[in-house]
Amino acid sequence: MMAYFSQAMKSFSRSMAYRAEVWIQIGGNILFLFIQISIWKALLGHSMTNGVGIQEMVTYSILNTSLSIILMTHVYNQVDESLRTGGILMHLVKPLRYPLFLFADEAGKNMYSLLFELIPTLLVGALLFGLQPISESDHIIPFALSVIIAMFISFGIGYLIALIAFWFMTTFALRWTVEGLIKVFSGSLIPLWFFPPVWIDVAHMLPFKFLGFVPAAIYMGKMSSTEIYENLAIGLFWIVLLYGLGSLLWWKALRRLAIQGG
Amino acid sequence: MDIISLQSVTKEYKQYKRYQGFWGSFRNLVTQEYTIHRAVEDVSFSIAKGEAVGLLGQNGAGKSTIIKMLTGILVPTSGHILVRGNNPHKKRRENNRHIGVVFGQRSQLWWDLPVIDSFDLHRHIYKIPLPLYKENFDKYVELLGMETFISQPVRQLSLGQRMRAEIAISLLHEPDILFLDEPTIGLDILAKDRIREFLRTINQEKKVTIILTTHDMKDIEEICPRLLILNKGKLVYDGEVKHLKDQQDVGKRVTIEFADAVPPVTIPEAQLMKDEGKRKQYQFSRDASVFEHLSKLASRYPIVDVKMHENDIEDVIRSLYQHLDDEDSRDLSEKKVARI
Repeated sequence: MMAYFSQAMKSFSRSMAYRAEVWIQIGGNILFLFIQISIWKALLGHSMTNGVGIQEMVTYSILNTSLSIILMTHVYNQVDESLRTGGILMHLVKPLRYPLFLFADEAGKNMYSLLFELIPTLLVGALLFGLQPISESDHIIPFALSVIIAMFISFGIGYLIALIAFWFMTTFALRWTVEGLIKVFSGSLIPLWFFPPVWIDVAHMLPFKFLGFVPAAIYMGKMSSTEIYENLAIGLFWIVLLYGLGSLLWWKALRRLAIQGG
Repeated sequence: MDIISLQSVTKEYKQYKRYQGFWGSFRNLVTQEYTIHRAVEDVSFSIAKGEAVGLLGQNGAGKSTIIKMLTGILVPTSGHILVRGNNPHKKRRENNRHIGVVFGQRSQLWWDLPVIDSFDLHRHIYKIPLPLYKENFDKYVELLGMETFISQPVRQLSLGQRMRAEIAISLLHEPDILFLDEPTIGLDILAKDRIREFLRTINQEKKVTIILTTHDMKDIEEICPRLLILNKGKLVYDGEVKHLKDQQDVGKRVTIEFADAVPPVTIPEAQLMKDEGKRKQYQFSRDASVFEHLSKLASRYPIVDVKMHENDIEDVIRSLYQHLDDEDSRDLSEKKVARI
């Protein structure tokens, strides 16, 4: 366990080596927020739709932009790279579990992103555009849980895509498709409550809503207690499913590597 | 007690047939045709604990495939492998705790972090007790002269410094076996010497079993008493370096510098290799009485200078490879004849 913790800490230190980039990233996030909020202002004006007004949409946008900073879908970049360069060898000759290594590495990067990117973006966003406080203090714990679920699900999705690279060598098309699905069905750009009924049903059947919509809706008090617990339970179910599938594919990938040599 | 043993190990890969061109790329989607490529064929050998063995072969001879099978990443298509008494694939993580690996073309150091940070992480991954870690750390830093760059980020190191760090890190956990894949590639002579000396010391003092692949014969001459040569997946030589030299001894090469340009003179028991008028090179056969022939020659043509070249291990290996290639092409032509 210490090995993986230590791995995460090193990954954190490595990210620190590139802290010059952080200003560009924060600036980019704020610009992105500004554009989103301008669009919502133009669309909504001072009216309310489904009980949602411009103040709600500002909060929603800030929450989603911040959350997207700590999602771990991009774990596939790392796997792609080590398959292409053959660097995966160096991981397999170590007494480590590669999937856990990946998780620790991404978690370390995330610690950095949380401190140096998420918190500044959240603060600047709140100061410039105004962020509503959490609707009820009872929702703090479910909200925190939903954020953790979002991180695990995003890692699970990214990891599955990464494993598919063992068969197809490149996952560009798949990544592109899944990224598109995430943009739409996570509700990070357009909240699910603006979706027509059919597409709401589709969104509820997919795991992507946990990567944006669910945490924001819990924070803003747009879900009843039963809905919250239902969603958290479904989120856990997705985590179990994704990790089961991930373990199976990893086992198959190792087999394939052992026989076919990659 | 053998620490590594291979028993008629064969490794085959399927190579799917690839069609060329635009339409070919569509055929690739549906085609399942493949050819079998045999990377390693019926190889058997065993290595005792504490031995240092050089693994030699041309590119594509199967060296890396063997190392990958020994580290448990690949499974053999047939045959048995035991490393530390275990099946290396089934006990990969357990075995690899006691194995050190240096791939000259890949790094296990963290590019952006100081060298010492990678060492520290290595300590946790291999669960090295702190006192042992400190002892080894101090020892290797001193032996490899790493004091000056141990706190520098890896990206600022020279290749020689980086290789020293790579070798040190792979030995921190006191492995039973150290695999080195071209550890001196691209290094200058001094850096090579330093690494060779260090590996010799480690092998003798700590009894670490060393398996080394390289294209630099000097690596093998100076570190490994025993040599394995692979050719097209087959083991063609297993024995002492010295013995191979004797076996493949092709005699002496002599360069003669004449006072004036002379016609191509023939010398008994020797073959004219190069003729540049004044300077000629002869290859004397084994057991030829070189001096006798030279003094006879000197009485006919004035000689200014004579240089003798002992065949070094590189010449020996070169002649072995050429010999093997000749055999192969002879096999092929025989087959062709047979078919006609």
